[in-house]
Amino acid sequence: MMWRGIGIVASALLLVCTGFAPAKADDTPSIGDLKRLTVEDLMNVEVTSVTRHPERLIEAASAIQVITQEDIRRSGATSIPEALRLADNLQVAQKNAHDWAISARGFNTALGNKLLVMIDGRTVYTPLYSGVFWDVQDYLLEDIDRIEVISGPGGTLWGANAVNGVINIITKSAADSQGLYAEAGGGSEPHELAGARYGGSLDGDTHFRVYGKYFDRGDEVLANGDPESDSWRQGRAGFRIDSGVTAQDKLTLQGDYYDGHEHVQTGGDADASGDNLLGRWTRILSNDSDLTLQSYIDQTHLALPIGPLTVNGVQFSPPGNLYDDLTTYDADFQHRFKVGSRNRIVWGLGFRRTHDAVIDGPGLGFSPAVLDQNLYSAFVQDEFALRKNLSFTAGSKLEHNAYTGFEYEPNARLSWILSSSQAVWAAVSRAVRTPSRFDHDLSEGSPPYPVFLKGGSNFTSESVIAYELGYRMQLNSKATASVSSFYNRYNDVRSVSLTPVTVFPVYFANDLQGDTYGLEFSGNYQVSDAWSLHAGYTLLQEHLRVKPGGYDVNNALFETADPEHQFSVRSSLNLPWRAELDAGLRWVDTLHTDTGAIPATVPSYFELNARLAWHASEQLELSLAGQNLLHNHHPEYGPPDPARAEIQRSVYGKLAWRF
Amino acid sequence: MAVLNTILRALLCGTLGLMALLRGACGAEAPTEYQVKAVFVYNFSHFVEWPPQGFTAPNAPFIIGILGNDPFGVRLDEAVHGEQIDQHPLLVRRFRSIGEVGDCQILYIDRSESAQLQQILAALDHRSTLTVSELDGSSERGVMIQFTTENNRIRLRINVESARAAGLTISSKLLRPAEIVGTRIRN
Repeated sequence: MMWRGIGIVASALLLVCTGFAPAKADDTPSIGDLKRLTVEDLMNVEVTSVTRHPERLIEAASAIQVITQEDIRRSGATSIPEALRLADNLQVAQKNAHDWAISARGFNTALGNKLLVMIDGRTVYTPLYSGVFWDVQDYLLEDIDRIEVISGPGGTLWGANAVNGVINIITKSAADSQGLYAEAGGGSEPHELAGARYGGSLDGDTHFRVYGKYFDRGDEVLANGDPESDSWRQGRAGFRIDSGVTAQDKLTLQGDYYDGHEHVQTGGDADASGDNLLGRWTRILSNDSDLTLQSYIDQTHLALPIGPLTVNGVQFSPPGNLYDDLTTYDADFQHRFKVGSRNRIVWGLGFRRTHDAVIDGPGLGFSPAVLDQNLYSAFVQDEFALRKNLSFTAGSKLEHNAYTGFEYEPNARLSWILSSSQAVWAAVSRAVRTPSRFDHDLSEGSPPYPVFLKGGSNFTSESVIAYELGYRMQLNSKATASVSSFYNRYNDVRSVSLTPVTVFPVYFANDLQGDTYGLEFSGNYQVSDAWSLHAGYTLLQEHLRVKPGGYDVNNALFETADPEHQFSVRSSLNLPWRAELDAGLRWVDTLHTDTGAIPATVPSYFELNARLAWHASEQLELSLAGQNLLHNHHPEYGPPDPARAEIQRSVYGKLAWRF
Repeated sequence: MAVLNTILRALLCGTLGLMALLRGACGAEAPTEYQVKAVFVYNFSHFVEWPPQGFTAPNAPFIIGILGNDPFGVRLDEAVHGEQIDQHPLLVRRFRSIGEVGDCQILYIDRSESAQLQQILAALDHRSTLTVSELDGSSERGVMIQFTTENNRIRLRINVESARAAGLTISSKLLRPAEIVGTRIRN
């Protein structure tokens, strides 16, 4: 309620200031004026015509795509999952108002678990199921510098869970987010949104920012148009301080707090809150060498209503709540240096301790209820220059986890820069997904209620060996393109076995194996200074099967739910009078979302997002954004039962004010 | 006519309520990207220390070169007009190819030279020339200062390593607000 009031006040303020803002902008500085500015001030001068150039990624030896701040702003995205639709190498499906399924290179199952996601170096996947609660991963989007999306394994550098991809969400340094920023808006979705940031400097070398964000989103609908009862709201606040203590030392301290409430279909409200605090120290030892020490504490609290467990109309356990409190302590050390003129070495050590305390709901629980686990890791990687334009990189991570002991995750990469505008790369990597509490400790039906599904006490790590080949080129100053292809062999993928004689409880085992292959294409074309086009396409083939002699209740159909093809086209146009028009069309192929071995699909669909914005002055930006404009509502995920949520067309307006 | 135009424009731009609507028409007077970049390049002459042997004579000119197409027009000339560093008057020279570049304290490498960047940097090896470019990724390839833009503001990426290799010392005033990068791509 309080937030609603603030939103209205902020909107009123913005309207009042529209009239006055131009008065401040009538002095157009001359070269002489500009010469009197300090370097810092010069950096704060906003310039009128900046041509947009895609980051030069020609030389990267992996399937990396970068979503820039500008991409996010112009997309009209209001949250991180929405912004991730901009990455061609991801499969993004919205399940309902607050849940998302996001994956790279397939396996976008109901509890997707093969993607590692980090915000400023802090891992945000939950060891509860090795997946990401996307609803609570958010930030003031204005202060995100970029999102790097790497499809393919990243286990050597990032560790277990970076099986099919890594997402690095990188926020701006405090020095790059100075001054006041405020935004407010609303529409059909989100009903209302408000955010603000203030950045200042403590002294010449130390900058800070504080921010807050709030939104309120309404219900999506069921296929028959009735409300889904999944409305939600969330508020968050945080800070970041960056300090250049000396020319060689940089310190960062940052933290966030969030609290949200979500209606869930099973009835009642889920509460999710959390906080984190991260410190990072970087010391530049020499031009080729630096040390980074990073540590963080992260706490998440979840109260989730669990519906009654009903089989064939018989209720085996009543509704209730599951509570999960997770605390993560993490410390990482990394050292980069050069040996001779040809070897660049990076190595590191890591320690993570998780304390997870669950209070079981009648229908869902974990055993043991409280679990402390330690994760130790070490890695080393060497980039070796074979020739001037040919480099070979090899390295491995060694990890020790509480469930499966030691795991190794090596990779070897070859990067061949054919010219300043063409490069070819190839890689072979191994990565693992170590067991989560879901795989190992789950109890669906918490004793004394009958247990129907439980974790596998012998559940082991899933593994992949990935072969990748990629090509990037800059056709001319206007066009760039990249293609990445992969062939992955998976082993020990999760399956569900039957208990002999009694059948129930069924339990998790590792009886699946299989292979996937595909390719990812991405291209940019700068038609003119004012107009750019982007196109993306993915092809994915998945062949999972039950191992010889093994068994799976779901007949190898449950771990995947992915489109075979998807493509997108985006246009970004600068109009006269400082207006911008952006549109993104996407097509997603049929999704096979099979549960319990019953074939089911989400039909293929086209959808369109668009945004029109006008920079009324240097300070004020007005925008109108529409999402999913082509259908009244359409499903993106889940089996076609009457309870499946469908995502509605939505439109919202926003005022953004930058000082 | 020209005078009338200027007066009309001044009138329109001075009118409070119309100002926002007329930004397009008045935009020519707002600082442009290359006006600000020109001032940055001029500032570099103050915030970088060249070795004394970098000059042939105590009053030899301090030369700012532009290699390839010239994106600045007259702006860089305006920025350095009448300025000097110690005894060295600042001069702007334009070069069509790296072969033409002689003594030069600062060299701005235009986007048009993208394909030749490796050869250019190789040719400048061991010369005390501060290299500046806005080519994406150029700082990682050895260019000492790279312009980038963020939210319509100019940002600097500085490769301290390659500046030091050329005997140049970059002031902390420049380094502090800049992003420091290392050479990641060997040429």
